[in-house]
Amino acid sequence: MNSHKPIRHAVMTVLGLLFAAAYFFPFYWMVNSALKPRSEIMTSTPLFWPKHITMQNFVVAITQTNFMINLKNSLIVVFSAVVFSVIFAFFACYALTRFCFRGRAAFMVGILVIQMLPGTAMLIPQFLVFNQLGLLNTYLGLILAYVSAVLPFSIWNLRNFFLNIPIEVEEAAMIDGANTWQILWHITFPLLVPGLVSTSIFAFISAWNDYLTAYTFMKDQSMYTLPVWLASFTTPRGVDYGSQMAAATLFSLPVVIVFLLVQRKVTEGAALGAVKG
Amino acid sequence: MSEVTRSVKISRRRNGHPVVREEHKLGYSTKTAMLLLTPSGLILGALVVVPLIFLVFTSFTDFNQRTLFTGEFNVVGLSTYAAVLADSEFWWSVVRTVLLMAACVAGTVLLGMAVAQFMTKLGKVTQYIVTVTMILAWAMPEVASAEVWNWLFQPGYGVINWLLTQLHVFGDVTNVSWANDARLAYICIWLLVVWQAIPFVAVTMFAAIQQVDPSCIEAAKIDGAGPVRLYWMITIPLVKPTLLLVTVLSIIWDFNIFNQIWLVSKGGPDNATANLGVFTYKKAFVGFDIGNGAAISVITTLMLLALTAVYIRSLLKSGEDLV
Repeated sequence: MNSHKPIRHAVMTVLGLLFAAAYFFPFYWMVNSALKPRSEIMTSTPLFWPKHITMQNFVVAITQTNFMINLKNSLIVVFSAVVFSVIFAFFACYALTRFCFRGRAAFMVGILVIQMLPGTAMLIPQFLVFNQLGLLNTYLGLILAYVSAVLPFSIWNLRNFFLNIPIEVEEAAMIDGANTWQILWHITFPLLVPGLVSTSIFAFISAWNDYLTAYTFMKDQSMYTLPVWLASFTTPRGVDYGSQMAAATLFSLPVVIVFLLVQRKVTEGAALGAVKG
Repeated sequence: MSEVTRSVKISRRRNGHPVVREEHKLGYSTKTAMLLLTPSGLILGALVVVPLIFLVFTSFTDFNQRTLFTGEFNVVGLSTYAAVLADSEFWWSVVRTVLLMAACVAGTVLLGMAVAQFMTKLGKVTQYIVTVTMILAWAMPEVASAEVWNWLFQPGYGVINWLLTQLHVFGDVTNVSWANDARLAYICIWLLVVWQAIPFVAVTMFAAIQQVDPSCIEAAKIDGAGPVRLYWMITIPLVKPTLLLVTVLSIIWDFNIFNQIWLVSKGGPDNATANLGVFTYKKAFVGFDIGNGAAISVITTLMLLALTAVYIRSLLKSGEDLV
């Protein structure tokens, strides 16, 4: 039996690497196409390795009329949404984990149900309300839509971190005469930094990736966010796959880096029903 | 002061261990709690609950494009629902939604489980490489992966068509357009959805399988269980809670697929790939028949709630750890 083990191990390793290579292929193809000059992209036999590596496609993508403006829009909207939802979630979770009041469980169940609603169920009425209030095509409208979309999960995620802080620490501070706000700021907040980071990351990823809401609410090209920019990407010369793949690479990069950095946290949070790619 | 001293019950769940209940006396007032909940409450109330009520109301009106400018509309009662339910296109989109969801959930969960099991047989380094490549797929924004898919499956220069032609099984398929053929468009969308969803299932299930107590496996081995029996009688029952959660989440996500369809085929050709999400979107935001779109949304929401009712009920029952 024992003599079979190394062979078995080698076979499994080869199979594993083949699987990884196949899985990696679409991602590889995106980067590979982004690095090829135009003449090597449309070839009757695809080139699996660029002969001449070039940054030209990235230059084309970045110098697109709206790239910088749309990047700015994305950053403004996404960061505001993340900051507000994490702050609101922080306060809400403090109340939900440290206080005893009626309707606490109902609040949590409500939050779970909200997360399961189909996209269009929120999209139609929010569109109508924002249309009435003149919030379509504005930063504020999209920020509000994102906060409402991201907040339920932020509360859900942050709550677990709150539950893991020993309440005795806060009790000790209370005995020493600190009031609620002092405890919140000086005791709970510092202990909660990992939770806040994790929650911000999840919030960032889902807001950064959103296509449907921005596509529906932002009608002027100058108000598009990056996903909408990418989906409507055409150059004056028609569809240019090289620069489109460069654009896709640029857009994916921040999320991919963040994902790899917090790999373990992501896989833990995943079990809570967190991130949809 | 009017500060009410209350006993705070805190239940903690530590990595699946039974819930520990502890009693603490803290001098916090309910007023403070309400104050802390106000921002979240306002947001969720004004931007989720009120719009939902408004959605139900809109579904009883003839809200359309004109209304967006004039604000005029009529309450037409159940006639929107009657119109929707009499529309064969609606029923087709229900069928498509259910079939696509079933195919995607089955593919994701079965293949994800297989990958998770496969990962347990790998050495540490290979395991790590497989995990990282899967996380790359998982991390890609849907818009980016859909654009990559369009390029991979591009008629003329797409690498997939080239590879399939090289196989000499299907003949020369270089110029086949996947998005323009209903069956091929489904295959293309299915591959995209499943490729991005497997990592979540595989990584989560792999973590769950690692948690299985080795002594259970040992005991079963001593009792003479083979690898297949071991898997079905020991591993599966022990990871069942996680498996159930992953399956329910997949059902919710795959019922709501929108981006992948919209960016690959726009629901075409001839609405052949229009599921409920795409159908609703086209009704409400392309045709601006908002009253009917709202009615379809209400029906869709109810269908999804019915699909996940068992899960929601179990959540309500385990209300313990929500408190």
